[in-house]
Amino acid sequence: MNFLGFILAQCLSALSQAAILFFIACGLTLIFGIMRIVNFAHGVIFMLGAYVGYTTVAVTGSFLLSLIVAPIVVGAVGMAFERIFLRYLYGRRDGGAYLLLTFGLAVVLSELIRIIWGAQPLSAGIPDSLRGIVVILDQPFPLYRLFLIALGIAAAVTIWQFLERTRAGLLIRAVSQNSEMVQALGTDVDLVRTGVFGFGCAMAALGGVLAAPLVTAFLGMGTTVVIDAFVIVIIGGMGSFLGSLIGSILVAFVQVLGAYYFQDLALAFMYFLMLTVLVIRPGGLLGKED
Amino acid sequence: MMTRQTVTRRRILKGAVAASALAAAPAIMRQSTAAIPIKIGIPTVITGGYALLGSQVIRTCKLVKKMTDAKGGVLGQPVEFFYQDTQGDPATCVRKCQELVERDNCRILSGVIVSSEAAAMLPKLEEWNAIFISHGNGDGRLTAELFVPRFFRANTSAPMGARALALYLKDAPEKKFIAIASDAAWGRSSNAAFEEQIKKVGKDLIDKIYAPVANKDYSPYITKILQSGAQGCYVALQGDEARAFYSQATQYGLAQRVQFFTEIVAQADIKVLGKDAIGLMGSSRYPLTYDIPQNKAFREAFMSEYKNEIPDWSDGEMYQALMILFAAIEKAGSPEPMKIVTAMEDLEVTSVKGPILMRKCDHQGENQGFVVKVAKNDKYAEPIAEIVKIYPREVNTPDCRSASYSK
Amino acid sequence: MNWKVNFGVTAGVCVLLPFMVPQYSLTVLIEALIFGLFAMSLDLLVGYCRLYSFGHAAAYGLGAYSTALILTQLQPPLPIGIVLAVLVTILAAIPIAWICTRSTGVSFAMLTLAFAQLGYAMLFRFRDVTGGSDGIVGIPRPSGPLGITWFQGKTGYYYLVLGCLLGSYLLCCAIVRSPFGAVLAGIRENEAKTIALGYNTRVYKIATVVLAYGFGGLAGALYAAFAGFASPELGGAGTLIGPILGGVFFVFLEHELSQVTDLWPLIFGSIFIAFVMFAPEGIWGILTSRFNAKPEVPNSASGKETSDAAA
Repeated sequence: MNFLGFILAQCLSALSQAAILFFIACGLTLIFGIMRIVNFAHGVIFMLGAYVGYTTVAVTGSFLLSLIVAPIVVGAVGMAFERIFLRYLYGRRDGGAYLLLTFGLAVVLSELIRIIWGAQPLSAGIPDSLRGIVVILDQPFPLYRLFLIALGIAAAVTIWQFLERTRAGLLIRAVSQNSEMVQALGTDVDLVRTGVFGFGCAMAALGGVLAAPLVTAFLGMGTTVVIDAFVIVIIGGMGSFLGSLIGSILVAFVQVLGAYYFQDLALAFMYFLMLTVLVIRPGGLLGKED
Repeated sequence: MMTRQTVTRRRILKGAVAASALAAAPAIMRQSTAAIPIKIGIPTVITGGYALLGSQVIRTCKLVKKMTDAKGGVLGQPVEFFYQDTQGDPATCVRKCQELVERDNCRILSGVIVSSEAAAMLPKLEEWNAIFISHGNGDGRLTAELFVPRFFRANTSAPMGARALALYLKDAPEKKFIAIASDAAWGRSSNAAFEEQIKKVGKDLIDKIYAPVANKDYSPYITKILQSGAQGCYVALQGDEARAFYSQATQYGLAQRVQFFTEIVAQADIKVLGKDAIGLMGSSRYPLTYDIPQNKAFREAFMSEYKNEIPDWSDGEMYQALMILFAAIEKAGSPEPMKIVTAMEDLEVTSVKGPILMRKCDHQGENQGFVVKVAKNDKYAEPIAEIVKIYPREVNTPDCRSASYSK
Repeated sequence: MNWKVNFGVTAGVCVLLPFMVPQYSLTVLIEALIFGLFAMSLDLLVGYCRLYSFGHAAAYGLGAYSTALILTQLQPPLPIGIVLAVLVTILAAIPIAWICTRSTGVSFAMLTLAFAQLGYAMLFRFRDVTGGSDGIVGIPRPSGPLGITWFQGKTGYYYLVLGCLLGSYLLCCAIVRSPFGAVLAGIRENEAKTIALGYNTRVYKIATVVLAYGFGGLAGALYAAFAGFASPELGGAGTLIGPILGGVFFVFLEHELSQVTDLWPLIFGSIFIAFVMFAPEGIWGILTSRFNAKPEVPNSASGKETSDAAA
């Protein structure tokens, strides 16, 4: 038994898991940062991404194409929802109305998915090009998971640079800090909100497309994953992009190692982590107290 | 502003009372119709994680209703099925059963999917004056510690599934095994039974792994299996979990290093995994290719009714359970619950899985054990499970009121 | 005095209901009342104090499992068993409340969720005691004290639950009207000001959480003894959102719709969305108004006045 190879395999497993979690969590945290909305529909958006991805592959035969089409389609659905429904509520002080509205969306969307695609789980195949097995220090490791890690890193860097270096990114950060001021300075804040909500949904959808080959596309695939995403966002700090990245990695490692070494307590580990972080820093690692 | 809020609250309280009256109304009307047909309540999973299994139960019941209507019913009475959605939750299941019994007058219950739902129902059967015949609940305890006289299990249980496999593995080249199961009642029962059986045939079980229900990422467990040095891996996972596990295991190339043996071979999983499923071995609760007249007839009726659909394990088991039920009703000459109980004890019925004996001592149906292997078959569009070995029912069924085998 | 008449009428109708509806409807009614009690306990936190809790299912689970274990192991008379279970829940709630109230807002909510999920995980860890995913079945309803057995039948149990609900409701109203309740309102409206006035708001918040857990635990206890079993799914993610909506109404809507069509979640979700968009006071009114009633005070404008008056 090769201990180094084993440790490396575990780390890579965790990182591949972190990549998918990151796609979902960063969308959630950005939406919260801009709109102070906790998007309860995020798990269903993730699921919608998986199903749209499946259909794209079924129609065009290209997995890579589905990586582009699904986020765009679902992002558009998200933007439409934001314009038509969420916008109504911006005047209200009560955060609770958003919770209920996104909850309603979640219920309606998941039913629509069931009606359109049926109750049978759908196999989303990985393209043959990504089917290989890489042997690292005597341990087999799926090529697909390496692909996930690579994609995750690429996305994280790209978004981070976008937020830090571009004007649009600046606007987004400004709106999350003080939307009235930004509005007063002449920017159409509503447009920023719509865009960010759409982007957040697109990222979750991307996560769904990528997760489907691991778990197949099935009804209810989003429920546990959205709770994980919430925990990540809380740990990282609500509204903090970097926080969602760190949080994803931490949670993924805790889950993978916890499942391996402490089977019985596997469920509890993530919550121990969140509890610990919140007791030490109530606003999350990189967040500010709400 | 205060007054407006109070008004709303009053209105809601009154609304609740009105709503409850509304809930009562249809019931009063329904109870006035005479109860001539034989009513069978099917509290199954329509929405939720196991919805697929529930949809299979329902489609088989509909097929059976069609077939029995054509024959003039059972004892000359038509059979009526009442479907309810339990969402796989024991609390909801008990509530729906309550309705089926009290509102729809069903004295016969079947089609329950999750073992913990079944366990919650057992103590209530007497209060409901109903009987419950299981088509697919695998937990060994249902006919052991939790036994009640009004419960019958027509299907292969989890211990029985493990038993057939272990007997087969006695002569197999693999010596060291590892087991992975869903951390639920059925999974625990299955792993425990497999451990007992595999040790009896002189093989080694290195470890037992339990993955949380609805787990998504199996990479830590796959790594554990790879690390263990096991040659064979026993899998007691179902539905979403099974598909996730096999998909991910294929990506690791695990099937090339370790032979999988699964407690339930499900056609739905084979369909989704496609060519990745070929070579999978396991215990089958319903052997599609079993060549006896009853099975041929069922297969033909099923496939002509549901084009392109291959009957899955819960289709076959549901059908068998219903055939046994009808045979008991006909022997009893009445659909009265306790009369059915008496008639079903020690009843022998030959159905799609061969001759089944409904044992008196614990109401477990003695089923033969089928070990199968997934392969391509020209007669079907998908790969299917082909029979590799059959074990007699006396050998395959555990001791009375137990999940163990003394022989 | 208006509300007293209204309350009396509603209570009176509830008392007469078992004679007006068939047996199985009674089952749904009992469950709805229990659910209403649970929703009320959550409402105390969310509606009255604006302490959004995502983990209130933990209170329910604590009550249910305590009852299950106490009744199956010790077999005390049923009412005593339930009281003990509520005491256990309250005791467990104290450290939970202490930790959770260290944060506010969404962090508070997530901490409560963390405890609920931890509790859920513990159920599986100690499966020898809790039965793991199967839960505990066969919970009895022992008679007594003094040989009282009227609550062992369904109708009798209905009255037990109704009594607990009405009693809890009156107790909550009393709390809300008391000086304690006024401070809570102050914390809700302007915590900084309340602290400035010299109140230790943290202690008040802890007390409220513990109280809410007590009522929630009572609901869980009543359910476990009614259904005869306790299972982990009760505490799952589903029960997170349900109570936020408003107990009885939700149960009936779900029940009726799922009878009518397999598509019930679709309709339910759509009604939901429509409600929130066009009748916001509808749902929030339910939640925030339950205890806010001081109907004899004419011309009172808003909560702010209440807290000023209390100070």
